[in-house]
Amino acid sequence: MELLIQILILVAVISGTLFSIVGVLGMLRLPDVYTRLHAVGKVSVFGVVLLLIAAKTLGAVDLGKSILLIIFLVIAGPTLTHSLAAAAYRMGIPVQRAVRNDLATRFPPPAPPEVQARLDGPEASTDQAKDGD
Amino acid sequence: MQEAIDIALNVSLVTHLILIAFAVWRVWSGENAIDRLIAVDLTGTLILAVLVIITLREQQGLYLDVAMGLAALGFTATVLLGKYFADQRLS
Repeated sequence: MELLIQILILVAVISGTLFSIVGVLGMLRLPDVYTRLHAVGKVSVFGVVLLLIAAKTLGAVDLGKSILLIIFLVIAGPTLTHSLAAAAYRMGIPVQRAVRNDLATRFPPPAPPEVQARLDGPEASTDQAKDGD
Repeated sequence: MQEAIDIALNVSLVTHLILIAFAVWRVWSGENAIDRLIAVDLTGTLILAVLVIITLREQQGLYLDVAMGLAALGFTATVLLGKYFADQRLS
């Protein structure tokens, strides 16, 4: 039984570390903001929660405290990802290499700031010229 | 078997510290504001993982209280900053 608990701790620590490595690798290598958010969510929900399961199994901390932190992380991780993705879409950050974008049929994405400035450029200058006249 | 757990914890601690270095470099060289904000949140999460590993190594529950405070503060700060960048206001 003791050996089984130690094997469980070892597996939890190693797989939590692997999830953290995969998350940071995705953060460094994926093409745009939305896919990076997908990768970073793995670190919060799987990496830290597996390490917390190892800590609880080893008996280092109270049961209630670790359960509370696990529940907080599982609720807060998807909330954070949803909030940041909505903020990025409202800022007009483009989606790279998307096959289809169902959200754009109902809420068309705003143009990114530099494109918007280029679209507004000549009209704004002519308006200023008219105002000058 | 206890030696294997100690070695795994040390390797995991060093790995997480290296990953924190990569995340901080990503904060420096991000493409836009949301990208850097994601990297800041990733740094906070990895520091949380380091605190849990220190709890495992030292067998003290004190570090977990610090981890709970850090998780709550990081969550609030990231959500508020994302809303501020999208709307240019905080209300």
